[in-house]
Formats: sequence, C-alpha cells, structure tokens
Amino acid sequence: MTRLRTTILISAAIALVAGAAGLLVGGCGSKKQSTVTSTTGGGETILVWHGYTDVERKTVEQAAVDFNATNPGFTVKAVFAGNNDFALQKLLTATAAGKYPDIAYQYGSSMANLVNLPKIVTLNDMITQPGVNWDDYFPAVRLAATVGDKVIGVPALVDNLAIVYNKKLFDQAGVGYPTADWTWTDFRSAAQKLTNASTKQYGWAYVNDGSEDTVWRFCALLWQAGGDLLTPDNTKAAFNSAAGVKAMTLLRDMAVVDKSVYLDSGNGNYLNLFNSGKIAMLWTGPWDLSSINADVSYGVQILAGDVSHATIAGPDNYVMLSNGAQNVADAWKFITWFNSAENHLKWCIQTGWLPLRQSETQLPDYKNVYLKKFPADELFVANLNNVTKARPNIASYPEVSAALGQAVQSVLLGKAEPQAALSSAEQQINGILATGGQ
Amino acid sequence: MDRLLASEHLAGWGFVSPAVILIALFGVVPIVWSVVLSFQRNNLMTPGVWIGLANYRRLMQDPLFTQSIRQTIVYTALFVPITIAGSLAIAVALNRKLIAIRLYRTAVFAPVVTSTVATAVIFLWLLDPDFGIVNAMLHHFGAAPQQFFQSTSQALFCIVAMTVWGWLGFGVIIYLAALQGVPRELLEAAEIDGATRWRAFRRVQLPLLGPTTLFLIVWLSINALQLFDEIYVTTRGGPLHATTVVVYYLYTQAFNYFHAGYATAIAYVLFLGILVLTIVELLVGRRTVHYRS
Amino acid sequence: MSVGMERIDELGGAAALAAELKTRRWHRPSGWHVLLLPVALVMAFPFVWLIVASISTLAETRTFPPSLPHGFPVQWLTNLWHNYGDAWTQAPFGTWVLNTTIVSASCVIGNLVFCSLAGYALARIRFFGNGALFLVILATIMVPFQVVMIPTLLIIKHLGLVDSLGALIAPNLVTPFGIFLLRQFFKTMPVEIEEAARIDGASRVGTLVKVVLPSMGAPLATVGIMTLLWTWNDFLWPLIAIQTPPHMTLQLGLQSFQSAHLTNWPVLMAATVMTQIPMLAIFIVAQRWFVQSLASSGVKG
Repeated sequence: MTRLRTTILISAAIALVAGAAGLLVGGCGSKKQSTVTSTTGGGETILVWHGYTDVERKTVEQAAVDFNATNPGFTVKAVFAGNNDFALQKLLTATAAGKYPDIAYQYGSSMANLVNLPKIVTLNDMITQPGVNWDDYFPAVRLAATVGDKVIGVPALVDNLAIVYNKKLFDQAGVGYPTADWTWTDFRSAAQKLTNASTKQYGWAYVNDGSEDTVWRFCALLWQAGGDLLTPDNTKAAFNSAAGVKAMTLLRDMAVVDKSVYLDSGNGNYLNLFNSGKIAMLWTGPWDLSSINADVSYGVQILAGDVSHATIAGPDNYVMLSNGAQNVADAWKFITWFNSAENHLKWCIQTGWLPLRQSETQLPDYKNVYLKKFPADELFVANLNNVTKARPNIASYPEVSAALGQAVQSVLLGKAEPQAALSSAEQQINGILATGGQ
Repeated sequence: MDRLLASEHLAGWGFVSPAVILIALFGVVPIVWSVVLSFQRNNLMTPGVWIGLANYRRLMQDPLFTQSIRQTIVYTALFVPITIAGSLAIAVALNRKLIAIRLYRTAVFAPVVTSTVATAVIFLWLLDPDFGIVNAMLHHFGAAPQQFFQSTSQALFCIVAMTVWGWLGFGVIIYLAALQGVPRELLEAAEIDGATRWRAFRRVQLPLLGPTTLFLIVWLSINALQLFDEIYVTTRGGPLHATTVVVYYLYTQAFNYFHAGYATAIAYVLFLGILVLTIVELLVGRRTVHYRS
Repeated sequence: MSVGMERIDELGGAAALAAELKTRRWHRPSGWHVLLLPVALVMAFPFVWLIVASISTLAETRTFPPSLPHGFPVQWLTNLWHNYGDAWTQAPFGTWVLNTTIVSASCVIGNLVFCSLAGYALARIRFFGNGALFLVILATIMVPFQVVMIPTLLIIKHLGLVDSLGALIAPNLVTPFGIFLLRQFFKTMPVEIEEAARIDGASRVGTLVKVVLPSMGAPLATVGIMTLLWTWNDFLWPLIAIQTPPHMTLQLGLQSFQSAHLTNWPVLMAATVMTQIPMLAIFIVAQRWFVQSLASSGVKG
C-alpha cells in the first residue's frame, strides 16, 4: 500500500517536472520564421480576432469555413476576442505579451495607437496589387485606414449615427415623425413629449458609461454646433467653446431638466428597451438594425441640426500583424477575398451593415436584396454626406476620450454644470497632450 | 562526519531546488524587475526610459490616484467590520445542533466557493435598475427605484454588500472552528456561576475568540485592499470613477494606457499600504487580544 | 505572516467542526431558527434568483416587476433546454472546464509535491542557507500579486507561454505560503519516528514519503484545497495572460461571455450556473474537507 503510494507520488513528481520542462522548451522554440514561397497557403493557422456577436459572428465564422474549403492549404480561424470596446487594449496586451493574431478588428479611433507597433503590417505596397481595388473603397473609409502616409487598415465597417425612431410611440403621443430639417429644439421637445415617467418610457437614449461610446455621440453634437474637439494641430483642447457649452447644455437640459433620456450603463440595454417600446428615439447606426425586432415598425432620419446636421462616422478596420511573411501573405489573401465587392455585399445582406465600396452599390443584389431587406440603409448611405469631420488620429486619444467621457457623464448625471465640466476636462486634456500620454 | 554533512547539504538543496527555481523565477526576479520598472517610463513594447523617481512624484499629484486610495479605504473600513460582525453572529447561531443545521450551513458556506466573477454577474442581475428583483421589492413597499451600480453615490456600497455576501461564509467557518475549540466546561461553569447566557458569551467565549478575530481582520483587510475582480465585472471603476479602487486604477494604467512604470509604482505604494495596515493591526491586536497559554 | 502560526493550534477546532458536520441528528425546535432561517434565505436567495432567471424566457426577464416564469413544468423545462443549450453552443464551456481542470490539477499536484519537499527540507535538514532561504520565502509571501504581475507577464512572454495553459500553471506550481504552512507542521511532528526509519536504512525521500507524509493528511489537504480554490477561481492573472477563448479558464470565459451577452439574462444566467456547478458539486460532496481546510488556511476564491 505504502509502496504503491510512493510510486504514484514519485512518478507524479517526475511527470510534472518533465511536463513543465517540456512546456517551457516547446514554448520557446515553437515560433519559426518562414519566408513567402507560394500562394497556396503556408498551412499555419491564420487567426482573426473579432468582437462580433450574433449574426455578424455567425457570418464571419462561416466565411472562414468557406474560404478554407475553397482554398487548400489555408486554415483561417475567426475567434471572438471580447467586446470591441476593449479590442485595442486586448491587442496591445497581446503584442506586449508576444502572442497576437494575424488580423484584428479595431476601431478607427485606435489607429494612431497601432501605427507604431513593431509588428503592425504597413499595407502601402500591398494595396496596389491587382484585385484589391483600393480606390473602389469610399474616400472616408480609405482615410480612416491611413495614419500620416501609412495605410495600416483594411476597411471593416463604415457607419454613421442617425435617428432611429419607433413609429408607434410617435403616433400614440401625437408627435410628427422626425424630418430632415429638425432643429435641436424640435428634437428636445419631441423627446419630452415622448417621455412618460409613470410607464418608464423615454424619448431618447444615451450611452452613459464614459467610454468612447459616450464621447463620439458628444462629438456629433459638438460639430453640429460648429465646435471642434482639438485645435487643428492636435496640441490643445478646443471643445471648451460656445459650441461646447451649447452641446453640453442640450444634454443637461434633456437628461437632467426634462429627464427624457434613458441613460444606458453601456450594456446595450437601450436596444432591449427600444424593442419593448420604452424608448422612442435612438441615435444609432446600421449595426443595430439587425437586432430590432420584426414587430417594431421603425423609421430613420438624419440627426437634428444646429449650425449643421453633422454626424459622425466610426470607420473601423482590420489591422494586420506580422507572424512571419508567409502568415502575412496568407492573411492578406483571406482579407482581400473577404472584402471583395461580392463578398462584402453578402456580408451586408446578412448584417445590415453599409457597403464599403462604390461598386457594391452597382451590383444587382444591392437594390434587389439588400435595400429590400434593410430599406433604412438607404438613408444611412446618404447620411455619409453629413460626415464632414473625423476624430483626431493621435496616440493619446484613449486618454483624451476618457477625460471627455467623464465630463459628459458628469453632466448627464447632473453632477456638474456644462461649463465647469468642460473646463475641468480641458485642463486634464491639455495636460495629457502636453506630456504626450505620460 | 564531513561526508555526512556534505550529503545533508546536497539532500537539502535537492529537496528545495524545484521550489527555489520556481520561486526565484516567479517571485524574486519579478519583485526586483518591478522595482526597475517603477523607475522607468515603459510601455511594454518599446525599450523603457529611466526617469528616476518621476513616477512616484507624479503619484502624489494624481487626483485620481488619491481618489482611488480614499475609495479603497472607505471600502475596507466598511467591508471588514461588517463581515466580521456578521460572521460572528451567524457562527454563534450555527454553533449548535438543530434541525436543518446542515442546510443552514450549506447556504451560508456556498458563496465561499462561488467565484468572484459569478458573484458579480449575479448581483448585476439582482440590482439591475430596470428589471432587478431588489427594485421590485422596493417598488412593492412603495419605495422609489434605485440606480445601484449606476449611481455614483450607491455603487461602492453595492460592491460592499456583494463582497460581504461572498465572504461571510468564510468568516463563519473560521469562527465556527474557533468556537468548537472553546471548552464546553468553561461555558457550563460560567452558567452554573449564575451568569446569563449573554454574560457567559461575553465574558468567556468572546475573549477566547480574540486571536481568531485578529486573524480575520488582518486577512480580510489584505483582501479588501486588493479588490479588483468584482469591480472589473460590474462597474469598471465607474460611474464617474466612484468605484475606482487602487488595484483597478493600477490595472487601467498598466493595460488600458500601457504606463507600466507608473502602474508598478502604484503597486509598490499598495504593497506599502498593506504592510503598514497589517503591522498596525497586529500591534494593536497584540495589546488587546489575550492568547490562551 | 505570523498570523498563520497562531492559526495552527486551532486546527483542533477545525477538526472538531469537520467531525461534527458529519453527524446527523434530530433535535427539538429552538428559537435560533428565528435568526437562522432569514439569514439562510438571504444567503441562498441570489442562487435561487439566478436559477429562476436561467429558466425564464428573454421576455420574462424584461418585465417589471419580475415574476416566476410561466408554464410550470413544461415551459420551464423548455426554457431550460433553450437557455442552457444556447449558452453551451455559443461558447466552448466544455473546453473551459477541461482547461480549468488541467490548470488546477497540475497546480495542486505541483504544490503538494514541491511544497512537501521544500517544507520538509526547511524543517528537518540542516543545509547551508536553510535559514536565509526560509526568510526569502517568508518575504515573498508578503508581496501582493499586483507588484509582480507585469514582470511575470514579461517572463511568461520570454518563455513563449503567453495565451497557453502553461502561463497559468508555471507561476502557480509552488506557493510560498504552502511551503511555510507545511514547514510549520513538519516542525511539530516528533522526530523520533523518522530517526528510527533512517536507522533502518530508509533514504530521505523514503522516510518522507513512507513515514512522514502519511500522517500529514490534514495539512496536505489544506494545501491542496487552498491551491484548488485559488487556481479554479483566479481571475486577474488569466485576464492578463490569456487572450483567446480556446485557452480560457471558466472564470475568464464567463466574463468574456458576459461582455458579449450583457443583457441576454436567461442565457447569461444559464452560463453562470454551468460555470459554478463543478466547484459547487465538489464542495457539497466534500464539504467537511473544504471547511476544515479553509478553517486552517484562510483562503477564499
């Protein structure tokens, strides 16, 4: 009995030490650099990180399966790497840790943080290859993939914010549907009329978690009032202006005075409440359309305006990271295939996202299938004309965004007055910009 | 004799070598390395730059860091006493033979093995402002619905309530073990002397629980100062930084903004804080707690 | 960590508590129920409400005030089938259970073997550097994980272990506290039996394994269960060291699942139940061992 125990213990110890040693040694030598030799795929797994859920997730995973089936030698694997709000942070952690995917979905606002990564692939030479048709992408999309003179992104998404409204709630309240010439005053008074405290019904919803989701909506308001986020050379804050105060005051008036705004904690509950008829108007984009229940009759209109009807686009990109030349070549082949006009239109038909290429709108399925399935998208495509400004492409943007997010949040919660919140954010952001992040 | 000693040295080092290698690699080296990091500006991707004490100087002027310390202290000052008082009361009640005592104990112990992530997910649901059961109960009694985790004034208290739920069972287990160690004769003797049950408890049992209480205070404080998981899952430090505690702030500095040097400087301040608090608790404890001989 | 030393003489109490948990006797009604029943209900309620949500429909979790799901029992079972099925197909829970089991089992075995060896040597063998080594180990116990977190990630990177189970196993194969705990126990054991075995010609290892360890059941269980709870429920380190679902542990997996299904409460709750079942089941089966170990170690997940 004791002998048996001895044997077990000792062999367990030996197995463990051997196992651990094997892990260490095996881990060290596993990554070999190879050179590009053929176009038939290097056999190594090409890892694609995405933050898609639901339909998008199924579609991208199916695309990888389809690609592998028709391209022998390729093993593309699409992996859900967590909510997109944390995609930059996750990718940076992964590169710091030395193990990272070949392709990763990233917000356009993150490009400046990625451009100097040692492993990021600069695409300037690759986009001139035949079959890529780079100039076919919409200009705003191409711009968002470029930092300085370097192209580091393959367009993944173009969107913009518009008003999506529940027709039934408007009818019940006897309020006319939003029009293209709505002013802020029209918007505010409609939201107020559509609010009913006793039934917990709200006129509008605002994502209030202090993240980029909070900030970009504010950017649209700021631009509508004629303001700007930073000075043109990106060295100082410019939002503490009459326009900034005006934008913040609208938020304060609606959220604190009228209480007509549902403040979403960042968990996307606004969509559930919209579906169950508790929120009349959303500021949202095409990505949410596939999640609106079939029994909700909704309309779409461009944002209400002040000086202009400016909206904001969040073109997002797939960035590529180098795990050796062969992997880069394989990954490039996949992403080029995935983003071809035909395949991207298929994606749009599944998900309701907007086309990225001019030529997609010329394909027969665009009118016959896509616009039939998502009639609202016609407005979103047109609304791209109201995208006149972009967020600054600077490396310290995450910190700038965090500081401004806190300011917006404090106003929405009634914890600070518009002017005070802007001044305090201005001070913080000027500090951040002066030290370059740290 | 020399040969015997030599073999002893060899045997000794043979026995400890696996542990020594692992502790050196994952304990000692990182400790030294992080001292170096804390004197650097380092983004973990490009080579670090030596900046001396600048990280530590910046800490002293960082309002958010000060706020995170304040919130960590408030949290600890609530969490530790509530957990200790609650678990003592429950342990005393559970320390007897009753019908269904096993059910009671299982109910109290189960949160101990429930992970922090699961605890946080469950409480997010209980305290959901729109559809949560707690707001439904408040509604039932005619009270206004609350925002809980989404309110700057309530979020930290929600975290306290959630973590007390998670840790109560642990305190109960420790106290129960100690109560079982109290000789029954002592209590009976006290009761024969005419003392009421309450007096017997206060005069006989409570003092004997001194060392246990001291242990719990130290252990719970160390864990409270390192609060992270529950914050990460529920509030991410918000709203408006109302629940940004030290370790969460450290995490955002390290892995949101990649200020690795600054983050390690925070870690060392945290270490110092834990050390000082533990020593103070032990010193005060030694003076007030009487150990059985 | 001098607290630990005083704890050790309370093991008598822990053993008594554990033994008592085993007994099963009926007793007459008592006023204590008035206190205990509400306490037990409050402690158990979050679990009950968790399970209720996991067998509700999505629409039922979006009504206020909430109520029990309709249609007992058929609809409940249908909901259960759908929610748990959805959770199971939307994330690799099986892989996560397996990963967590591999990590925890490796770390438990590693700690039992390495801490025993080191603790025994530190307690019994007089080798050069014994005292200094013990001091170093005591010192590392005091250092919070956050201090070593970033360099440990860099070391793991150099070892090529990032985003693999090795990253979770290697740093946790031995814990200084385990060595310390076992050393204290070895110290309290009478040395005479070992000497007798040594005179009979047994080797050091033989003595340790055949003579000493068999009488160390309780402290070894403590180290084992302590390691199990710690590695099973650890979150911060996996969050940093693991990036992709195939290598996640249950807790990290649950968090990543939550970030993707924020308000789909029924499915999220089903996932939560699934991730907690393994440890709760072990706990209920081995309750008295857990209680005894927790009482003598001071660790919670």
